[in-house]
Amino acid sequence: LYMVAACKAVPISDLLDRASQRSDRLHSLSTMLTRELDSHFPPIGRMIMPRPAMCHTSSLQTPNDKEQALQVSESDLLSLARSLLRAWVDPLLVLSSSANTLPHPAQNSISNKIQELQEHSKNLGDGLNILSGKMGPAAQTMSLLPYRGGNDLGQDKISKLINFQFLLSCFRRDSHKIDSFLKVLRCRAAKMQPEMC
Amino acid sequence: TRYSLPGKPALTRCRSPEKETFTCWWEPGSDGGLPTTYALYYRKENSETVYECPDYHTAGKNSCFFNKNDTSIWVNYNITVVASNALGSTFSDPVDIDVVYIVKPNPPEKVAVTVMEDKGWPFLRVSWEPPHKADTRSGWITLIYELRVKLEGENEWEMHLAGQQKMFNIFSLRSGGRYLVQVRCKPDHGFWSEWSSASHIKVPDYFHRE
Repeated sequence: LYMVAACKAVPISDLLDRASQRSDRLHSLSTMLTRELDSHFPPIGRMIMPRPAMCHTSSLQTPNDKEQALQVSESDLLSLARSLLRAWVDPLLVLSSSANTLPHPAQNSISNKIQELQEHSKNLGDGLNILSGKMGPAAQTMSLLPYRGGNDLGQDKISKLINFQFLLSCFRRDSHKIDSFLKVLRCRAAKMQPEMC
Repeated sequence: TRYSLPGKPALTRCRSPEKETFTCWWEPGSDGGLPTTYALYYRKENSETVYECPDYHTAGKNSCFFNKNDTSIWVNYNITVVASNALGSTFSDPVDIDVVYIVKPNPPEKVAVTVMEDKGWPFLRVSWEPPHKADTRSGWITLIYELRVKLEGENEWEMHLAGQQKMFNIFSLRSGGRYLVQVRCKPDHGFWSEWSSASHIKVPDYFHRE
């Protein structure tokens, strides 16, 4: 039985709807992970120990309030989201390998969630690649944000936890940015379906 | 009378209703028997500049309101409250906040409940609007909604998650029943609002057709 499927392109609004569902999940996961990590990690430990000052993605100029964000063009918003997502491919590997030996009572659950983060992140990245192909050359540009933190988060127990917690806090913030940009894009694309936003 | 330094104040809560402004509240400590003043100071991430609260009045007593110009998101605010009297000052523990994680919207508005009919069976159609301060239209804030309905005089609420919809139908009603309906909302990553005020509705008498 030979069938010819009428190849109907998926509308951009649908792709953005799916992408923002996945980015929503990505951020929610990072929030759950943060809470799980913090539940057995005395704040005092975080206060006294030195920690890196800035996230490796902080050089990327992103809007810092609604007025700025709503002035950014669609292609730039998508480019920001893709740049941030790609910037986390390597550090998520570091988090993943570190999670296996994390000195934390919820180590196993943390490790599983990091795996899930990686899958969601990869799938979202693939989806945004397709989207950017439909949104013109400007959406193809991406900023390089290299992670220079190395594969080792520290020798002793506390510094390993501190650096793991800091890296995760950076991911949590960046995943919120990605989610916010995609939801603004989604509402712009949904102009014909006002009930969507 | 013995006078002393003021007691240690405590920053109790910071909330943003729409991810554009935010407010912090504090609990004063003891006043040490002397007139005591309070000041809130904050520092933004990767900056050593210390600022004082821009507005102590808009949000009422023991509060500090940050308007749109004073509010940045994805930026960490390190906030401290200082109590001072003639003998000196006492500092609260510092609190770190990022506005994106403290969003608690106002309740939904214009909640309307009407009795509709489908093939002779009545159902309630509940509709509402997002809180006017929350800009859902541009996608800056994404709200999900939850309803609860119960018969007047009963304690048990029936809960319904409505997702991002702004209208919901409720079936299986008691003939002649008087119902209360409330709606609340939550941003995708934040806190549930308070419930809207209760809307009352009476379902007409109808007979079961077996």
